[in-house]
Amino acid sequence: MAMKEDKKIKSPIERRKFIKMLGTTVAGGSILATSGLMINKFVDGEADHYWQIDPQKCTHCGRCETHCVLSMSAVKCIHANKICGYCDLCGGYYRSNVKDLNTAAENLMCPTGAIQRKFVEDPYFEYTIDEDLCNGCAKCVKGCTAFGNGSLYLQIKRDLCTDCNECEIAKVCPSDAISRVPLAQAYKLKD
Amino acid sequence: MVYTSLIAAWQLMPANLDFAIQAPGADNRPAGKTRAANDVVIGEYFMRYDNETSALSGNWTKFRGPLHNNIIRTEDDIQIPSALYPEIWSVETGEGHASPVIFNGKVYFLDYDEKLSSDALRCFSLETGKELWRRWYRVPIKRNHGFSRTTPFIAENYIITIGPEGHVMCCDPSSGDMLWSLDMQKEYTTEVPFWYTGQCPLVDDGVLILAPAGKEVLMTGLDCLTGEILWTTPNSPAYKMSHSSVVPMSFDNHKTYVYVGIGGICGVSAGPEDTGCLLWHMNEWQPSVVAPSPVQISDNQFYMTAGYGSGGVLIELNNSGNKWSTEVLDKYKPNAGISSEQQTPIFHQGKLISVMPKDGGRLRGKLVSYSPSDLHTPLWTSAADEKFGLGPYLVINDYLFALKDDGELYVYQIESDGMTLVKKQRIMDGRDAWGPMAYADGMLIIRDAHIVKCLKII
Repeated sequence: MAMKEDKKIKSPIERRKFIKMLGTTVAGGSILATSGLMINKFVDGEADHYWQIDPQKCTHCGRCETHCVLSMSAVKCIHANKICGYCDLCGGYYRSNVKDLNTAAENLMCPTGAIQRKFVEDPYFEYTIDEDLCNGCAKCVKGCTAFGNGSLYLQIKRDLCTDCNECEIAKVCPSDAISRVPLAQAYKLKD
Repeated sequence: MVYTSLIAAWQLMPANLDFAIQAPGADNRPAGKTRAANDVVIGEYFMRYDNETSALSGNWTKFRGPLHNNIIRTEDDIQIPSALYPEIWSVETGEGHASPVIFNGKVYFLDYDEKLSSDALRCFSLETGKELWRRWYRVPIKRNHGFSRTTPFIAENYIITIGPEGHVMCCDPSSGDMLWSLDMQKEYTTEVPFWYTGQCPLVDDGVLILAPAGKEVLMTGLDCLTGEILWTTPNSPAYKMSHSSVVPMSFDNHKTYVYVGIGGICGVSAGPEDTGCLLWHMNEWQPSVVAPSPVQISDNQFYMTAGYGSGGVLIELNNSGNKWSTEVLDKYKPNAGISSEQQTPIFHQGKLISVMPKDGGRLRGKLVSYSPSDLHTPLWTSAADEKFGLGPYLVINDYLFALKDDGELYVYQIESDGMTLVKKQRIMDGRDAWGPMAYADGMLIIRDAHIVKCLKII
């Protein structure tokens, strides 16, 4: 009996305690490693990346309107005033083959009336976008690119975007125009 | 019970009246500036896309090329490779048949944008096909075998176009700046033909020659830089506008502008002393539809053809004491001799070359060659399967390039007794490839109703 007790005392660590210690070490190491990776990610600037559309790649397919997780897409039409032709007969403003050049709803390309314009001088008009009304359908962008010089283009608004880990629009974008870009490169403005 | 309550609540819920009516006048356009559907302001809009300079200097300046005969002699080494001619660029266009001009490394053609219902003069880089600028104006018209038709005229300081509805526009070819414009329907009461205006602008020594064939004016000359009217020819023969173009000829050393209108054929003096005087006119041959232009074949003879059963005619002019007379030497139906429905035949090395019209009997659609001394017996015809429909053709050095109207290019070596097919290449799955081709700096420009392509052939 005495011999048995001596053997117990000689054991440096109990088996169960050893396994527990091992598990704790592995778990702690994993947490440390993950934290390290995350810190590294922040150090590399990944946290300052945002989903953005490259206007040069965009094909105005219309999926930005329908695939954003928000009920009203975070993608909006942006207007580059500096390269706009200020035309009366604007391919992004009027529908095809309109009878009269006036602002009646049936003549307008935008389904929500988000593009507004004001007469400047004959025959020039200044165009502005009402972002609250714009649903990112890209109909105006398509019309402008086809005939104008592409002053209307789509972009993801940072203040509206929920910055999903995996952007639902990017997943279906046929031209891979949507990617995360550093903040410094965000809003690829044309002007 | 629950569903009934919900439906009742839905019905009783007040309608949402929080919306705005989008009505005319929201853009504060001044009252006097309201635009009607057909309110055409020629050359109203302009858009520049890029700037590009070029070292190229080749030119194809007008309808049927620099010499107005669809023949070009060049030192370029035209290749007939077994491989395909490489396509340098391709651009989509509105439906039409308007042919381009080429000037110092730039390509220009009149397009029609169906979405904006607009004629558009578009300028491209010859080397890259990149669009540099366009100038356009709204002119709503309905599709009728396409829209665009005509070839511009270009020189160093101006490019002149004629739109489907007879709108004449003159711009600076470099900057695209608008110089002047003219509406032939408004100015001359021109009745535009059923398939729209096909008349291409002719410029002679800085003077634009137009044949509006309106109520008062048959032909007119305008200063190319200002649009000022320099002379007019009264429309005493009462012709109407055809799809044919005015052609400069010289009979008995007297420069003459020959025009085939609806109602007959006339010659207007281009001489310095009596410019604009109607020298002669004849009505012995007056098809109801005329698309080709007349072709001079000797010092006092010219040949003319038209489609839809009209056939061909050979006319001789005689000058006696400054009094001109015409004589019809030959006149025949399309199945009895060389004819053409749409393209203007080429007079090359003493032979007339044409593609026979669909009513051309056994030769229907074939490329043919005739001697002017016998317009009824072909010297040469293409093979049974080499039929070109309404496709264009031109001569570069000793080669004839012919495009089937489905987009297949044929190249023939021209020989003394005929032609030998040396190459053919499918360029596109074309539809209605009727627009004339253009060549400069080793580049051949080809089009069908929807696409313009540039091939390198040197």
